[in-house]
Amino acid sequence: MIVADRKSLDEIQEMIKDYKKILLVGCKGCVTVCNVGGMKEVQVLSSILKIARKKEGRELQVEERTIERQCDFEYVEQLRADCDRFDAILSMACGVGPQFLAEAFPSQKIYPALDTKFFGGAVQHGIWEERCAGCGTCVIHFYDSLCPIARCAKSLQHGPCGGSANGKCEISEDVDCIWDIIVRKKMEQERLEDLRTYRAFKDWRSARDGGPRKSIREELVQ
Amino acid sequence: MNETFEPQIVAYCCNYCAYAAADLAGSMRLSYPSNVKVIQVPCTGRVDILYLLRAIEDGADGIYVAG
Ligand code: SF4
Ligand code: SF4
Repeated sequence: MIVADRKSLDEIQEMIKDYKKILLVGCKGCVTVCNVGGMKEVQVLSSILKIARKKEGRELQVEERTIERQCDFEYVEQLRADCDRFDAILSMACGVGPQFLAEAFPSQKIYPALDTKFFGGAVQHGIWEERCAGCGTCVIHFYDSLCPIARCAKSLQHGPCGGSANGKCEISEDVDCIWDIIVRKKMEQERLEDLRTYRAFKDWRSARDGGPRKSIREELVQ
Repeated sequence: MNETFEPQIVAYCCNYCAYAAADLAGSMRLSYPSNVKVIQVPCTGRVDILYLLRAIEDGADGIYVAG
């Protein structure tokens, strides 16, 4: 899923300081699963913003809505009837959400309440880790389904580098060296030879390096 | 702060202990300050962050979770 964190209250308050009536929109997708932008978090942020505004001696009206997904115009459309009643819309989806809202409602002012971080999963309750960087040409079959693009600080495809020590990456004691894990696994499975294979350069044009990306499925396009 | 300021306190009390104690205090004719508003909850585990926020939003100055 896409993992995000909520922006600081100060940052959000600054964005909406001139508005009296906002629509706060949550998303039932990824951000609900990572407990940052679902119905519950919408209710909590709404309440916190109202209390903060009250402390300033002013009033803030917040209407709460949580839609199925903000990355789908079909669901975004559900907001159209009400959207003009508000001074601005604050989105609690990943970075895709506010952009879809901005495209659907070009005359409205749209703001993001989250900092979108990465593609990953929960390794334990309350802790999420990155697993994929969306490079567009997956190469993890070479590495026993462990991704050095997302999980090696240098995205090395022929690691480990000299900074790997005791299974940790040189950037931090808290970061496992994925190359240490890859090599260990190859050794355990007696397949270390796999890593000697010469491979063509990875084509980074399918990653962000090639500019904004698009995926077209001809069979679905009408 | 003005001398006569009396905070409005919302007390979320567990049905099995704090609320039962408040009930017992009542039957013993003991009084408690009228600015404490007792709300019975089945268990303090039921108290959610939203209960705390909504109480503050609606004018409470402090919250008391007893259980
Ligand atoms: S808008 Fe973002 S958070 Fe919501 S479902 Fe789509 S990708 Fe996930
Ligand atoms: S190789 Fe690319 S697509 Fe595959 S997991 Fe890593 S970043 Fe994601």
